[in-house]
Amino acid sequence: VLLNAVPPYGHVIAGDKWRNCPLIEHLKGAGVKILFESELGMSDFHLPNKSCILYISESDIVAGNGYKRKLVRYRNAGSSFLGLVLVENTRLSEQYFTAVQKFVVFDLGLTLLPVSGQTEASQLIAQIVHGERRENPFRRRTSSRLMDPQILSTVQLLPGVGRVKALALLQHFPSIHQLCNTPLAELEPVVGQAAAHQIYNFFHEPS
Amino acid sequence: ASTSAPRSSDAGPVCILVDSRCISGGAQLVTCLRQRHSAAVHVCSLDGSYMIVSTRTAVERHSQSELASANNRKRLVERVAALQDGFERVCLIVEKDRVKPGDSARPFQRTRYYDSTLAALVGSGLRLLWSTGPEDSAALLVDLARLEQRKSHGISVPLEVKGPQRQQALDVYLSLPSVNHVHALSLCHNFRSLSHLSNSSIEAIQKGGCMSRSRAEVVYRFLRYSSDAFLMNCSK
Repeated sequence: VLLNAVPPYGHVIAGDKWRNCPLIEHLKGAGVKILFESELGMSDFHLPNKSCILYISESDIVAGNGYKRKLVRYRNAGSSFLGLVLVENTRLSEQYFTAVQKFVVFDLGLTLLPVSGQTEASQLIAQIVHGERRENPFRRRTSSRLMDPQILSTVQLLPGVGRVKALALLQHFPSIHQLCNTPLAELEPVVGQAAAHQIYNFFHEPS
Repeated sequence: ASTSAPRSSDAGPVCILVDSRCISGGAQLVTCLRQRHSAAVHVCSLDGSYMIVSTRTAVERHSQSELASANNRKRLVERVAALQDGFERVCLIVEKDRVKPGDSARPFQRTRYYDSTLAALVGSGLRLLWSTGPEDSAALLVDLARLEQRKSHGISVPLEVKGPQRQQALDVYLSLPSVNHVHALSLCHNFRSLSHLSNSSIEAIQKGGCMSRSRAEVVYRFLRYSSDAFLMNCSK
């Protein structure tokens, strides 16, 4: 149950081991409220936007491949959370960064965010927490554009067709499908012989 | 013409489409893609300065300071929205700023604005990749393209079309809704003509256009949509 606990707005659930860490102190300073939990599973933090964080420190990386096992277990925990990985990218650990990124992003499909240390991490986490109240400008929108003007501009791309001929064509044959299946003889009175030939050939001539 | 293109094998070179606007400031990246990674790179005119590494993935490159500047926000939002329209996956390569020769490297100052931008980008499902410079970015692009190839989303049609009539057909396909440049190329290579395409089933469009079912449905509906002259003059 605790593995899927989502904190309330403005709060972060942190694993017990983070008590008294500078990161927590900075988070409090940034107005984020902390709830500690001893059984958070593989993650270090749970955030109110249903994301969780695994923190990979410089010493984790330098120590060897143990962090990879941690990452795999974190990924396999398979919670419904968006899995973020904060990686300390420092002068000491930067030589390993390419390999760490490859593993986290390409092999495991998780999201990596580099930080220089706990201070930067706390600032980033605070922004994720506070950002939850703001509207996300990058959120995917479903566009509900009117199709009619778009059809007009597609028809205007046909050879020899400008706005006037496109409008005339669509008045007689209102869909592209219908237009494509109109015999040459019926196109001619609408746009003239030359243009009708060009359009008809464009529709049908295997090139 | 056959209606299905063979899937490129794992071992084949990866194919990447690059917008011509990426060349200024990105020449090193393109050269590196070609020479060090033997990638098949085709420079063409896309509808923005981005790159395409698979039938569903577009990649934009930004410097860290670009992301950190509030002046770029509006443009970035528009770019991301446009890419999300044409691609299931949008990836941002965040590149460290170049240090001019003679200048000492200034450490990048992270601001609250920068962090909130990152949080918003991640929250909207964008993928972020971190790079130290053009060579690093080239390696990331190739890795990404290779990964997509393994998942059968690699670009498997020729990267360009030959002849003015084919070019004209490509332009028409590019004007179809929710179709990206790779989809349009695939339609061009897999359908004899616009008439052939507009008389095809959703399944055939999906297969020939190397696109998702929902995109094929949009194309199918668009081709059969009965337009109204009055609504045409409404703003887009």
